[in-house]
Amino acid sequence: MTDASLEFEIQPNSGVPIYRQIMDQVRALIASRRLPQGAMLPSIRQLATDLEVNMMTVSKAYARLEADGALERVRGTGMRVRPPETLPTVAERQEELAPLIEPLVTRAMQLGLTEPQLIASVRSHVKERQSWNKSPSTSRG
Amino acid sequence: MEQIAIDIAGLTKSYDRKQVLQGVDLRVPRGAVVGLMGMNGSGKSTLIKCLLGLVRPDGGSARLLGDDSRNLSPEVKGRLGYVPQVVHQLDWMKVRHLIQYTSTFYPNWDERWVTELVERWRVPLGDRVQALSTGQLQTLAIVLALGHRPDLMVLDEPVASLDPVARRDFLRSILELARDGNRTVLFSTHISSDLERVATHVAILHAGRIASYSELDELKDRVKRLRMRATDDLPRELDIPGLLTSKVEGRSALATVSVVTPGLVDELADRYQAEVRVEDLNLEEIFVELNGHG
Repeated sequence: MTDASLEFEIQPNSGVPIYRQIMDQVRALIASRRLPQGAMLPSIRQLATDLEVNMMTVSKAYARLEADGALERVRGTGMRVRPPETLPTVAERQEELAPLIEPLVTRAMQLGLTEPQLIASVRSHVKERQSWNKSPSTSRG
Repeated sequence: MEQIAIDIAGLTKSYDRKQVLQGVDLRVPRGAVVGLMGMNGSGKSTLIKCLLGLVRPDGGSARLLGDDSRNLSPEVKGRLGYVPQVVHQLDWMKVRHLIQYTSTFYPNWDERWVTELVERWRVPLGDRVQALSTGQLQTLAIVLALGHRPDLMVLDEPVASLDPVARRDFLRSILELARDGNRTVLFSTHISSDLERVATHVAILHAGRIASYSELDELKDRVKRLRMRATDDLPRELDIPGLLTSKVEGRSALATVSVVTPGLVDELADRYQAEVRVEDLNLEEIFVELNGHG
């Protein structure tokens, strides 16, 4: 039995179909990072043998997880955990800025700038960057 | 190879005046592992014997790997494995010799696999067949039927006299046989827990007909018990589509339905002003419900 198969616990006599039990457990293993992004899952044959269930059952669970976007099929290799497609949320990315913003706000207060003046200053820099990106050949004068 | 391994239509059979099979329809696709369930006396053995051409049906048809069951070709017989409920072997032979003898009938006998099975099942090679226990005889019959890796394996109550360890080994062997997705297995049993690991399909024989036949997963996904709790007394007869069994007591009710949908749950909650909880059922519970004894 492979290490990955040991993570699964199947109850054949439960009212939940075995393929659903496998799906639920794969999702839980991904959520808890015990199956990290990009990790390979046991092959269908391997998992079916280890869990002593029909191969079609494992195959069905993997196919549905693939359709849901939790797993991706790697040609000739098997199934792996798919990296999330979405960026971190806006709030998470704003959080990343905090260490840079704190000294900025401190300096603005020391210089006696009001909140609108600080924001206007930030905005003008953003504008400048946008125009710079549009026409990279223009000198910044 | 045939896409349909077993094709039974309108099969009937009576013994004296008792009609055991009253029009059985069953189509099994290649690669399926079908559990045939039914109460004692429901006709499981008769159905299997008709299918294999061992008993002549009164009407209807049964085809097996493309051949008519009444007239199986030697070629199809060579692709079959069968384990009857009551095993008769050549009593005076030693187990080792009986295995050798059987192997000579099959050009594709898988020596290595048989050796593996004999070890796994602790088959006593040196003993005479007549000295074997009922369980050991059944084990031996299964090994002999598996030896040529049949395209279609039919077993009549194969696990009835096996101990839990041997039963587990048996199920493993069935999974190994079915692994390539081309071999088909039909086995009758009334021990539902054995089916849950291995079966792709479940057929339930009731009152001489197939009362239910579907994929096991699908069956578990759709047959559910609804636990209802209403604000007022519920009517004694619940009007629910696909209702199998129900029990009403004042404001509480238990109802088993053959097809649950989110829409049905919402509608019942609305109509009966009730809180409706959906409960999963395992195969044994489903079997009891489908036989109308919930």
